[in-house]
Amino acid sequence: MTDITQLPLWEQLIYYYQMNGAYVFDQFLRHFLMAIYGVLFAAIFAIPFGFYLARNAKIADWILAIANVIQTVPSLAMLSILMLAVGLGPNLVVITVFIYSVLPILRNTYTGVQNVDENILDVGKGMGMTKWQLIYKVELPLSLSVIMGGVRNAFIMGVGVATLGTFVGASGLGDILQLGVNASDGASVILAGVIPISIMAIVGDLFLTWVEKRLDPTSK
Amino acid sequence: MSMRKWKKKLMMITSTLFILTGCSLPGLGGSVTGEGISITGGTSTEMDMMGYLIEGMVEHYIGVDANVITNLSSGMNHQAFLTGDANVSGVRYTGTSLTGELGKEAVTDPEKAEQIVIDSFKEEYNQNWYPSYGFSNTYAFMVRAETAEEYGLEKVSQLEEFKDEFSVGVDTSWMTREGDGYDAFVETYGFEFNDIFPMSLGLLYTALSGEEIDVGLGYSTDGQIPAEDLVLLEDDLNLFPPYDASPLATAEIVEEYPELEDIFYKLEGKIDEEQMQELNYLSENYLLEPRTVAFNWLEENNYFEDTEPYLEPVEGKELNE
Repeated sequence: MTDITQLPLWEQLIYYYQMNGAYVFDQFLRHFLMAIYGVLFAAIFAIPFGFYLARNAKIADWILAIANVIQTVPSLAMLSILMLAVGLGPNLVVITVFIYSVLPILRNTYTGVQNVDENILDVGKGMGMTKWQLIYKVELPLSLSVIMGGVRNAFIMGVGVATLGTFVGASGLGDILQLGVNASDGASVILAGVIPISIMAIVGDLFLTWVEKRLDPTSK
Repeated sequence: MSMRKWKKKLMMITSTLFILTGCSLPGLGGSVTGEGISITGGTSTEMDMMGYLIEGMVEHYIGVDANVITNLSSGMNHQAFLTGDANVSGVRYTGTSLTGELGKEAVTDPEKAEQIVIDSFKEEYNQNWYPSYGFSNTYAFMVRAETAEEYGLEKVSQLEEFKDEFSVGVDTSWMTREGDGYDAFVETYGFEFNDIFPMSLGLLYTALSGEEIDVGLGYSTDGQIPAEDLVLLEDDLNLFPPYDASPLATAEIVEEYPELEDIFYKLEGKIDEEQMQELNYLSENYLLEPRTVAFNWLEENNYFEDTEPYLEPVEGKELNE
């Protein structure tokens, strides 16, 4: 048996990846899916809801306040509370990511739609656009880059929340991290878990920033 | 009007939640099914390893896939049983379960404590508490082997003689713990240490081996004990409640898979503290997955095939048919 603890840190890390490459990749995919599903469901729910709020500014303040309060619940506590209703497993993590993602997407959608120039909307109306045409052809394209900003925030947070999946039987890269934390000198294993998580967050952020820029009508 | 709309929205959210929990999303299924044998580990390497140990035995003797849920905190571990996500616990400790899940007073007599958990878990939750694996993971005072030899140390009460000379390192949380913390120690043993340093457990072992401190308070199954050549001192006045390690299972799963009981009895008394220290050491020091360590150990011991009660391994069954 190779005593890998005798090797320098970086060689330990390389050794770990060589031995457990498939396992790490598996967990990476799992982790990514848990985060992306949560954000996706949140986007499906929060973007239309954000449009609705933009038209009903009276209740918008209330709803956003409630969403803000939910956001302050620590994610591990949220997982434990939801666990009573949902049970253990990846679905629990997906729902938690969903709940945390709603606020950033909702707020950005609301702000984005609110900030669409009244005059442009009037022009649309003047051209005889229907309500739906106004949404699809004017408001949505003009606010899409702001909305994407919210999705980007949500995704990065989702990657973080999914790390806690290890504590609720959902696996993910948190499993590797936790193994390193339990070990007496597990720095290399901790790194083996943290590096993919960071890469996921950074690459995801860069990609979504790029999308955001592409969607910004003023940059065309 | 708007109230009705709100109700609709609320209905939509809750129904989405329920649909979500019902099905498994592509690429994510198969972790926790709640069906078949579902084993929980715990927050430490040791607890996860015991979970994998049961998994290995189940696969060898019953031939069904069991899944192991790792890293559950003890509260969640218990909750998972109540929600039906899990039905076998790789390891529970008498002391932890007594004050934790059962919410009772700590009991220092090991036999009494065991009897209470056996009865209470049966009565309150219809869960069976099985005989101990043979080790207990409790707080323990320890010294370097050469210190023990030099001063002839065996018991905690002997430390009174050296209370002014020895410097002592303890777990930070122990200083303020109620029931079996430092105050209780002073009360039970009737002396105080002159030099006492609260520190994290990881540092404690480094400090002990580096001769920065002479006495440390750690856990009795820590892998560093054999690695650093340390000797445990006997808690002769029974300050610490017993934390005997046992497997636990729901009555339903045992009914469904009666072989499970035989597996637990096969493992009864098979792992003493030194064995557990060694297994912990393998995982924590060589950075091996707890699962690998558990499975290797089972292979080494031939899955306890020659131990009572007799149980037919799966391969044997297939050959006979």
